[in-house]
Amino acid sequence: MSRSERVTDWLKANLFRSTADSIVSVVVGAIALFVLFRIVRFVFVTGRWEIVETNLSLYVTGAWPDAEMWRLVATVLLAAFVSGLIAGFIARSREIEAGVEAVSLSPRARIIELVVRLWPLLLGLALVLALTRTVMPVLLVVSAAVAVVLGRMLGRLLPRRSPPWLAALAVVTLLGVVWLMANGVGLESWGGMLLNIFLAAFSITLCFPLGVMLALGRRSKYPVVRLLSVGYIELFRGAPLIALLLMVDVAIGFFLPQSIVPSSPVRAIIVFILFTAAYMAEVVRGGLQSVPGGQVEAAKALGLSPISTTFRIVLPQALRNVIPAIVGQSISLFKDTTLAGAAMGLADLLNSAQASTAQEQFRGQGLIVESLVFVLFLFWVGAYTMSRESQRLERRLGVGNR
Amino acid sequence: MSAEAQRPPFWRDVRVLGWFFQLAVFAIVVAIVGILVNNVRVNSANQGIPTGFSFLDQPSSFEIPGNDFRQSQPVRDALVEGVFNTLRVVVAGLVLATLLGVTLGVGRLSGNFLIRTITRVYVETIRNIPLLGLLIFFYIGLVLTAFPRVEDSWIVGSLLVANVRGVTIPWITGSTIAFLVVVAIAAGLAWAVNRWRLQVNERSGEPARGGLWAIPVLVLVGFWGAFFVGNGITTPELDGRSLEGGMTMQPEYFALLLALVIYTSSHIAEIVRGSIQAVPKGQVEAASALALSSWHRLRHVVLPQALRIAVPPIGNQYLNLMKNSSLGFVISYFEITKVTQTTVGNRSPAVPAFLLLIVIYLVLSLIISAGVNVVNRRLQVVER
Amino acid sequence: MAMRSRWSILTLLLALALVVGACASSDDDGDADGGDDSTTTEAAPEPTDDDGGDDGGDDDGGDVETTDTTEDTVELTQDGGSLLDSVQSAGSLRCGTRDALPGFAVLQDDGSYEGFDSDFCRVIAAAVLGDAGAADMVPLETNDRFTALQSGEIDVLVRNTTWTASRDGVEGATFLQPNFYDGQGMMVSTGAFDGIDAMDGTVVCVASGTTTEGNVATEFARRGLSVEVLSFESTDLIQEAFIAGRCDGWSSDVSQLTGLRSAFPDGPDALTIFGDVFSKEPLAPAVRDGDTAWAQAVEWAIFATIQAEEFGITQANVDDFLTSENPSILTFLGVEVDGTSLDPGLGLPTDFAYQVISQVGNYGEIFEQHLSPLGLDRGVNTIWLEGGLLYAPPYR
Repeated sequence: MSRSERVTDWLKANLFRSTADSIVSVVVGAIALFVLFRIVRFVFVTGRWEIVETNLSLYVTGAWPDAEMWRLVATVLLAAFVSGLIAGFIARSREIEAGVEAVSLSPRARIIELVVRLWPLLLGLALVLALTRTVMPVLLVVSAAVAVVLGRMLGRLLPRRSPPWLAALAVVTLLGVVWLMANGVGLESWGGMLLNIFLAAFSITLCFPLGVMLALGRRSKYPVVRLLSVGYIELFRGAPLIALLLMVDVAIGFFLPQSIVPSSPVRAIIVFILFTAAYMAEVVRGGLQSVPGGQVEAAKALGLSPISTTFRIVLPQALRNVIPAIVGQSISLFKDTTLAGAAMGLADLLNSAQASTAQEQFRGQGLIVESLVFVLFLFWVGAYTMSRESQRLERRLGVGNR
Repeated sequence: MSAEAQRPPFWRDVRVLGWFFQLAVFAIVVAIVGILVNNVRVNSANQGIPTGFSFLDQPSSFEIPGNDFRQSQPVRDALVEGVFNTLRVVVAGLVLATLLGVTLGVGRLSGNFLIRTITRVYVETIRNIPLLGLLIFFYIGLVLTAFPRVEDSWIVGSLLVANVRGVTIPWITGSTIAFLVVVAIAAGLAWAVNRWRLQVNERSGEPARGGLWAIPVLVLVGFWGAFFVGNGITTPELDGRSLEGGMTMQPEYFALLLALVIYTSSHIAEIVRGSIQAVPKGQVEAASALALSSWHRLRHVVLPQALRIAVPPIGNQYLNLMKNSSLGFVISYFEITKVTQTTVGNRSPAVPAFLLLIVIYLVLSLIISAGVNVVNRRLQVVER
Repeated sequence: MAMRSRWSILTLLLALALVVGACASSDDDGDADGGDDSTTTEAAPEPTDDDGGDDGGDDDGGDVETTDTTEDTVELTQDGGSLLDSVQSAGSLRCGTRDALPGFAVLQDDGSYEGFDSDFCRVIAAAVLGDAGAADMVPLETNDRFTALQSGEIDVLVRNTTWTASRDGVEGATFLQPNFYDGQGMMVSTGAFDGIDAMDGTVVCVASGTTTEGNVATEFARRGLSVEVLSFESTDLIQEAFIAGRCDGWSSDVSQLTGLRSAFPDGPDALTIFGDVFSKEPLAPAVRDGDTAWAQAVEWAIFATIQAEEFGITQANVDDFLTSENPSILTFLGVEVDGTSLDPGLGLPTDFAYQVISQVGNYGEIFEQHLSPLGLDRGVNTIWLEGGLLYAPPYR
């Protein structure tokens, strides 16, 4: 078959199957082209992106002082290296498990694979780097990439019996990151996308124990425990997050003694934890239900105590099954952190975008559209990358195939 | 061994300990709630703020744009207006988001490359953007610029006046409840007529044409019934700079509705796509073998089965849509959250006002869940 | 068996309590470290004057070991101690402000804040800590500004806030010497209306949660006019709505309107601000109720800017006045006369006025730097000698 024949066949099969289909294709195609044209024109011709260029660091890192920037750099590099290490180790283990020798992809094929997998993230990074005026961010990205690759190569060389101390390393890294970031600047100086990421990451981590507890409570055989868990879950799932944020913002001074009322970011985190825990509980419950009853019976037969059964048999399987759902929860929490900006006035990404239009050189020029489009793009990069990775993970774990 | 030896002492008796444990959990929860309530009481008393619901009868001292609510009316009425505004956007949003979402979900699996790609881009873009950003963007970038200024209003006779203040359409005067009753009766009659036509179709084979019969019944009965119970019609007109008569839908309403529909439909589309893919392939093949057209395959074989799977998760999206309508406060749409926030700003006590707000949302959630459950149960009965 | 499972739940509960506890304390650490950090930044660029440096340094040296600012604050206030001590020991001032109000406080691209209100935050920091750079700005929404003050999230509120009786009473705030006397006005497109009386049946946009909202409704009702009020949290949204013609009028404090008009896309002449001012809006800094020492310290920091203008002392010439002949000026600047300088017992360093003027400037300078470019006249905001309302009590 010649090349042109193949093209014709593809067109016939995908665009012009019938008369009606052809009409639809032409009409929709025309509209799509027009929209595409408008978007491209806005991005490259009519959009005035100086406001984004000037405020890039405000959007990304908020008021983080330059003197403390090394903390961010160290965090990024450390996280990149350790995740590379773990990824390398897991990849190697999988190969050994599958009994294959190292799949030797050519560097070119590997790069293509990475680009296909991570294109939203790469696009976002490229855009941010294109807008920066200093060389530092470029250096940071390059060295982070190097750190990942280095970690991945080292990870492959690790002895096979590494998991315990790999897990320990991950925990130590996490603590190190917390220490690095917490000692830098007070919470009130956090802002921009950094604040959104921080709020989401911190809340999703801390809501986890509460969520697991509520999920176990909801399946408890004790009616009081069950009722309280159900009550909590339904209460927080029935009320909008924004109403809770507004309420806590204005009314927390009444619920707590005046002397221990926390500051806005902490208030936001508390609300996020309480709110997300209810959703997390439902996610975990789904996971618990997916664990076959035989597992519990087998554990019983082996004489395991209920605690051991729950924590060593049931929960690990349940949680493994719901990892993609947890990522999904993180994505929506990441998007919902913008609500803290709206309800409590935190200087998050969306608020910074709005505030930047009041600066002297940009004031009153309607540049809010440009700044909004840019920050929404940043959110999209974050959320879409996570969602793609979660889908990939889902396929890898074979959830649903068990 | 005696029976006594077999029974463990009460401090090790599983049942006793079980009750003790439950009591302890209960006591802890009660204690926490009690401390919080007590704090509210003490702190309120210190600041001289009432904790009861007497603020509901105070004058609201603010006005709600787009209707006749006046600042001398009590807070209670403002809250009722707020609930009404929430329902206005939620009901319209549910219907439109479902229609758009199902269409997009089907489009995701279309054989047409363009449709497939465009719906995919739409879904994967919208799903990963915060709704709040979408809302502000639609309000500033779309709604406020799309409608003309007051001086250049679009006027279609006395049917429609549209400008940046809002879109006004003819509306009924008189009792809304009476009108709703009339509409319900008319709809019931139209349904009966439609059913009768279907029976005729089954018996005699002559085309049913249910709609052709039912719609005139609906219109005529509704129209005359409304006239009979004293409903009239008010038509919109532009009086100077303000819109008089008719019912006005404000730009904020459109922006919120648009954002909610666009956002929720992208989630519904994914659910519908997944559900369609979960319908066994054999079903489609069997339908093809029966020479059903692709539309009939979709309409009568695939969608009914897919929607049955999709109802519970779509129900969750309905709940989300209802809760997300609270974002209207950002663009000054006076739904219930905005009303509560405004009344707290006008010196209503914060704690009771916000507790009331949360209770209102819980009730709305329950109503929607109940509706979804009813639909779910009916669909499952049909299945068997 | 069942007994075991309930213990597991109980353990979980305990673990959760621990986690929550750990979370709370780690946040506190964050705060504290932020405070400490500012201390170091303060120490690095040594303030110009030796006295000031020593004063600040001594205070820090004494209390720098304090690990937890927030806790410290709490204990002190509970013991009847003053925020003044805890601010001085923390070495930084948390000042509640706005982030997008032209002329008053605008978030800059480097994360700092600029404007009239932001400068008054710096004035207070200079007076209390000897370092204008020690003011940490905390952006607040209109609705949560008093919560932030009550909760101790901020030490002082300088956020364009109108002093009213109920705010003084119910909101638990104590208002101090106003730094700006304002009034609420109405801005419309030039030529659209002759005056407020012509605005029957119109839509007016305001910022939500402000006195402005109620004032518009009251004023229109008084004149027998009907009006719809749209209220938004963010100024950007109001501006977009106004430009699109969603509202006919934009009501706010005249100072804000002037600032917004100066930056209007079609030029300032496209907008008219009516002469009628329909309310008194004294914008004043506020502190928490029941902390007299702190209130006095803040109040005298503001008086210092006014007094300096009365004396004619500016940022540029302040050093010349250190050798002035006028004993009142010497006392004011904290210069030692006969081996002692006046310490009125406010808990402020004796040279606080010098620090304020040399690091930030006098009232007139602050005004001219931030508000005059917007096209705002001094109006009643001049010193009393020129017929204004600014009058500082004598410093002696």
